[in-house]
Order: sequence, then structure tokens, then C-alpha cells
Amino acid sequence: MKHIITLVCCILFVSVTKSQERFLTKNGAITFYSKAPMENITAENNQVLSIIDASSGKMAISILMKSFMFKKALMQEHFNENYVESDKYPKATFKGDILNFDTIDNLAKDVKVKGSLTMHGVTKELTIVANFTRNKEYILVEGNFIIEVDDFNIKIPAVVAKNIAKKIKVSFKFNHTPYKK
Amino acid sequence: MNKKKIIIVVLILGLIVAFVAYKMYNKPHVNVFEKSADIITNADKILKDFSSDENTANTKYLEKIIKIKGAVSDIKIENEKGIISLETNDDFGSVLCHLSIESTKKIKEIQKGQDIVVKGICTGYLMDVILVKCEVINK
Repeated sequence: MKHIITLVCCILFVSVTKSQERFLTKNGAITFYSKAPMENITAENNQVLSIIDASSGKMAISILMKSFMFKKALMQEHFNENYVESDKYPKATFKGDILNFDTIDNLAKDVKVKGSLTMHGVTKELTIVANFTRNKEYILVEGNFIIEVDDFNIKIPAVVAKNIAKKIKVSFKFNHTPYKK
Repeated sequence: MNKKKIIIVVLILGLIVAFVAYKMYNKPHVNVFEKSADIITNADKILKDFSSDENTANTKYLEKIIKIKGAVSDIKIENEKGIISLETNDDFGSVLCHLSIESTKKIKEIQKGQDIVVKGICTGYLMDVILVKCEVINK
């Protein structure tokens, strides 16, 4: 009987600590900004899924391309149909390791995340610097980086070359909370 | 005289082209509230469709206006925009409805456990099925 109680306690304990190891957000924000001579374009996605495994320092992000909202309907249409081809490639993903994850605490600090970004059927290795803050209730990750559309095989016709930048600034903000359920 | 006529015709044509181009450039977003739904379903059915065969579900639901019925399992406000989760039989997944600014104003009238009907645009499936620009049709 005693053994069973110990066992049950152990299982409970393990499952409790396990549930605390994962931090997640289902409404992370990614915005991108294209600065070109003719017009500046921004788009916002507030439905990004990001998961951090706090035991290993690994991070996984999934992005629905159709969730990017533009100011103008036409821009959104062109983005989906001509550039990222979201019918063919509905998601972008990022998988990576947070370097020096153990050093992250409740004081905001810049940490490197090394991983691979897959978008438009192309996978590219990147290292991104992001600002991390961690306490018991959350892990906040914020930052930005530049991607080049050429790297992801996204072709911009010469006619609109003045409207769309070749280098796009991507900003992100994820407020992960401990995963329960 | 003839030359003048040609110039006027060209000018008018030019104006029409410019007007059409301007209209196209400023084409408004779909008005979810006014436009009728492409698909009417419930939270359980749509999640099952996505979790069993995501590709087929993508072609069926993406960018469509979905009218969906379900019980509210969670309500929250992030960045001034309301998010309502609809309950399903699945242990992990739900349907996440990201409300429009208009519907967010009425979020206080909604309670957990209540059955509601929401209309929104489906953008895909991550852990949950995601609808954006949602309007609460029926409380």
C-alpha cells in the first residue's frame, strides 16, 4: 500500500514538473515591414503558435500564412496568391535552439536563437538575436530580424520592384505561459 | 476640330482607367458581418476535419466565411482584441475565434459554457482551428 502511494506521488510529481516545463502561446504576434520607394507595406499576424521546451531550451514556431492581415485587401491577395503561394505552402515554421537558455531570468537580456526557418517550401538556417525575460508565469520573447525574399525563392516582378522591398523586416513578440491541460 | 475630339476621348479613357485602377487598389476587405457564410458547421466537426486530414480541410475551409456553433470554453482579451475558444470533444484542440474590434466591445455579454454562433474567416490549423475577423452572431 505504501509503495502504491509513493508511486502515485512520484507520478503526480513527475507530471506536475513536466507540465511546467513547456511554455506556449497561441496568439504570438509577427509583423513585417517592407519599405520601398513607392509604398510601405505592413502586415500583422496575431495567431502565431510558439512553444518553448524549458527543459531543453528548444523553441518551435508555426505560422499560418493566411493569417497575415494587410491594410489593403489587394495587397493581402497578392501576398497570398503571387508571393508566398499560401494555397501551396499554408504554413511557415521555425525550429531552433535557444543558446545559453539557462542564463535567462527575470531581467531582460539578448540571447541568440539558432535554427531553421521554412517558408514557401525553402528551409534556411538562421541565427536570430531575441530579447528574453523569464519568470514563473511567463517567458517573453521579443525582437526583429531581416529576411531577404530571394532566399525563399519569392520572385518579385520588375513592374512592382519599386513597391516591394527585397529585404523585409520581421518583428515578433511572444508571451509564452506555462502549458496546462 | 478632329484633333480636339481625339484628345478628349483619350483624356476620358485615361480618367476611367485611373479610376478603375484606384478602385482596385483600394478594394475593401470582405465584410464578414454582411456577407453570407460559405460553410455552416460546428466546432467539433471542423476540428475533426482538420485533425484527420489537414490538406483536404485546407482546400475546403481556408479563406472561406465560416458560420460556426459551439460552447464557449475560454474568453480572453489580448492586445485589445477578444479571443473566444469553442469547446470540442478533442482533448487538446479547440476552435479559436479572434474577434473583430466591433465584436470585442460586446465580449462582456458572453459567458463561459454558453452556446454561441460565430462567423469568421478560417486561416488554418495549428493546435487549434483558427478563425479571424470573427463576429458574434448570436449570444
